[in-house]
Amino acid sequence: MLVAKNLYKSYKEVHALNNVSLSVQEGELYGLLGPNGAGKTTTINILTSLLKPNSGEILYHGKSLFENLNQCKKMIGVVPQEIALYEELSAIENLKFWGTLYGIKGKQLQQKTEELLSFLGLSDRKNHKIKTYSGGMKRRINITAALLHDPKIVFMDEPTVGIDPQSRNLIFEVIQELHSRGLTMIYTTHYMEEAERLCDRIGIIDEGKIVAEGSLENLKKASTIKEEIHVKFTNAPKEDLLNINNSFPNQVLVQENQLVLSTSQANTDLPKLIQLCTNANLPLEHLQVKNLSLESIFLELTGKSLRD
Amino acid sequence: MFTIALKGIRQYFKDRTAVLLSLLLPIVLITIFALMYGGIGKSEKSRPITLLFTDQDNTELSKEVYSTLNEQSGIQLLTTNYDEASKLIKKGKNSAVLVLYKGFQDSVEAGNKIPMELFYDEAKEIEMGLMQQALWSNLFGITMKKGMKGKVNSWIREKNPDLDTTELLDIQAKIDEQFSDFEQSEDSETLEENSNLPMTAIVSEEKNGNLGLIQAIAGVAIMMLLFSVAGSGASLLKEKEDGTFRRLLVAPISPSSILYGKMLSTLFMAILQLTVMFLYSWLVLGLDIFINLPALLLMILVTAIACSSFGIFMASICKSRKQVESLSTLVILVISALGGSMMPLIFMPAIMQKLAVISVNYWAIEGFFDIFWRQLPLSEIYPKLIVLLGIGILFTTISVVSFKRNLLKMV
Ligand SMILES: Nc1ncnc2c1ncn2[C@@H]1O[C@H](COP(=O)(O)OP(=O)(O)OP(=O)(O)O)[C@@H](O)[C@H]1O
Ligand SMILES: [Mg+2]
Repeated sequence: MLVAKNLYKSYKEVHALNNVSLSVQEGELYGLLGPNGAGKTTTINILTSLLKPNSGEILYHGKSLFENLNQCKKMIGVVPQEIALYEELSAIENLKFWGTLYGIKGKQLQQKTEELLSFLGLSDRKNHKIKTYSGGMKRRINITAALLHDPKIVFMDEPTVGIDPQSRNLIFEVIQELHSRGLTMIYTTHYMEEAERLCDRIGIIDEGKIVAEGSLENLKKASTIKEEIHVKFTNAPKEDLLNINNSFPNQVLVQENQLVLSTSQANTDLPKLIQLCTNANLPLEHLQVKNLSLESIFLELTGKSLRD
Repeated sequence: MFTIALKGIRQYFKDRTAVLLSLLLPIVLITIFALMYGGIGKSEKSRPITLLFTDQDNTELSKEVYSTLNEQSGIQLLTTNYDEASKLIKKGKNSAVLVLYKGFQDSVEAGNKIPMELFYDEAKEIEMGLMQQALWSNLFGITMKKGMKGKVNSWIREKNPDLDTTELLDIQAKIDEQFSDFEQSEDSETLEENSNLPMTAIVSEEKNGNLGLIQAIAGVAIMMLLFSVAGSGASLLKEKEDGTFRRLLVAPISPSSILYGKMLSTLFMAILQLTVMFLYSWLVLGLDIFINLPALLLMILVTAIACSSFGIFMASICKSRKQVESLSTLVILVISALGGSMMPLIFMPAIMQKLAVISVNYWAIEGFFDIFWRQLPLSEIYPKLIVLLGIGILFTTISVVSFKRNLLKMV
């Protein structure tokens, strides 16, 4: 479906993308996971023709994007991070406008908008101005606007940033429904859970490079880490926690009164950890050994925490 | 492109306050300015200005001046002596007195500086300023003719000192004949070709509305139009800030058509606004808009083109909506003041009047004056049309170039 090879993109001094390659299969939900400034938006912008890469190749169904621009654009749907709609116009007017830009007309357009509006449960408010909609409803219309022309592949750039949990769940449901209908999608996020929950395959991007790629299973298999030890203290100074961090070769995620130790050998590391805590006089509140999560893999690969 | 234009127009009509502001505010302002300039009224005939007239020369020529001016539809002359006149003016009973000093005819015939003066009430400056032009052009019509004849006569006498008096009279009669021929012929170009002296444009006698009204309508209309097109241009940057611009760019349309679509909808609104203003001026303020309808429609069109290209230009050189809004307000105020939208140009120092040509307002206002005041045929108004069209094309070209360079890069 989509193949991108060796994409480079730099802005003056910043190398935003440094040899990014990825491929997405038909019907796949591909997640691009990375911290702020990793190059997610840049990648999406290039793949959707908004930006030209300095070098590299992008093929949709074997056709070069920039050489068959209008043909490829018709295959692409984009859900921007913002609510990219005209607030003064009604939902139906917005959708008809965006549909017309893709050359859809008359009855077909009417039918398609009605169908999508009922799919998203917005039929009864379709003649109201977007201004009067709630945040979650706007989000849904925002997604609808990208689907009018039956795109083959839909890009969603952090569609859940700054939304309440309820609306977020609604969007997940929509995405999962679209996925089950066989729509190919690329989804960027810096939330682990989203990538874990939604995506068939995940590409981890950091500093303009894809550092790992594969299904969650494959990523776990490829990782040297097997388990994570979560420790919670009633009260622990940060210095002490950092000292513990230094005693282990692997990365330790340090948060307030809390740390997560990724390990490939829990049976030796766990006693060592408890020993260290006792020596430092740190009162343990809670201790748990968990299966490997994406977060630890990410930490291992990039040395960075996603949530900061 | 048309889809985008149509969407823009739809957005405009959805915003009731914007529609009201862009149509109602200019109407209110036109009315205020028209009242200020004393411009409302069907024509000057209904309210002629009484001009005091003091003739200290008492010659054939000074009497001719009196009768010519008195024939003017907007002016009624009242002969008094200077002392009486100045009293009347000081009391506010009359606005001005035209004084022809002794030696008026002699100086005119000798081609010297003409001893005449207009004294007027300082408080009525605006009224007088507007009348001044009409007055001078009439005076020049008379005095120049006589001055030329005088020059020719003295030249003949000088060259042929022993010329027979009857022959001289004969020649003079011939000259008179020639001059009256010129007057009758409407071809003013011939007149200019045949004389080396500059001619002041002769304004037709039947005035449409009056200067004050035309000034109020044209001045306000252009300024308000600039404000609303700047707002429309700013909506291009709003698209960028809202992210709808990105969505437009990923659609299978050419990026330039986004700009052209926006231009088209701006143009439509500009034409609508001007049309509404002239309809109002016709229905309520008594401006005869049918005096030269083709010219008026063309003027509306090119003015709309020039102004809307200005709005798009502002949007394409600015980085944010805030920037467009503040920068264009500043620019509009400056060019409106320069171009005569706020105050008639005749009140400004000569240097400012020269500077006015850089302003869109100037060309548009002059164009409307050509139609309604000077009542020129289309064939003489076209330079203004071309200048306005040129301004439109220039700004559009710059906008297209900088749109590609700036806006498209900032996704
Ligand atoms: N227009 C630009 N000019 C200069 N540098 C830019 C520009 N856009 C992005 N960058 C830089 O390129 C890098 C990648 O940015 P990008 O927006 O792709 O990150 P991201 O993964 O989308 O981050 P976020 O999670 O914050 O959205 C960053 O270092 C950023 O500062
Ligand atoms: Mg981003």
